[in-house]
Amino acid sequence: MPNERTDLMQGTLELLILNTLARESMHGYGIVQRIHEAAEDLLKVEDGSLYPALYRMEERGWIKSEWGVSENNRRAKFYKLTRAGQKQLEAQRANWNRISKAVARILQAT
Amino acid sequence: MKLALANLFSRLNRYKTALEVDEELQFHLAMLERKYMQEGMCAADAQAAALRRFGNFQRVKQQCVEITKRSTLLRRVLKTSLMLMGLAGLLISIGSSDYKVDRIGHVLIMIAIMGRLLLYVRGLGPFTYLAGVKATSITDPAKTPRN
Repeated sequence: MPNERTDLMQGTLELLILNTLARESMHGYGIVQRIHEAAEDLLKVEDGSLYPALYRMEERGWIKSEWGVSENNRRAKFYKLTRAGQKQLEAQRANWNRISKAVARILQAT
Repeated sequence: MKLALANLFSRLNRYKTALEVDEELQFHLAMLERKYMQEGMCAADAQAAALRRFGNFQRVKQQCVEITKRSTLLRRVLKTSLMLMGLAGLLISIGSSDYKVDRIGHVLIMIAIMGRLLLYVRGLGPFTYLAGVKATSITDPAKTPRN
């Protein structure tokens, strides 16, 4: 059976993380689960790849982290969107919409 | 003595960062294992499946530690530069009787203050990183109703 899951495009992971965190604070595992659930397993996201992205985004000031207690009473690091992150999300969302529209037009035209 | 203390502090800080990254990633693996076991796998299979899905644990850990270290270094350089700029501005303002030179001092002080404020606002200030452990009540993503 062919693998129908698609590799994530470069830079898309950040958009997905920002979008996931726009609703509520979450730990890394929660973020990946939410992405997998929303994408209905059509996207291939290696769980480990999430963390360097999260750390880079925190370095840029888009997200903030703090240690808390998880649903199973374990210490876990939770991430939340900052105001700069919110702006970044809006910009990346608009950019994504522009790109997808342009690609769709090209595919329809040819 | 001062250098040795700074070196020790740096090593301790790096060790603490590595421990925290490790704890965060271990939590992820534990959650994956729990998920697979709930789906009916035995403990050994669940552990193997979790590791497979996670990817290269050591590489991810190393990357996260490096990013944190880089971020800390950048913050220190920025803070030191701003402090030196503010100090230079203050010395110029005090030591000069020329209006134009005095004005340069004021501008330097203003830049230093604004920069420091910006660092704090952008979450790069020390308080965010010294906040320590704070228990928060977070909704379980698995139990949150989806749209």
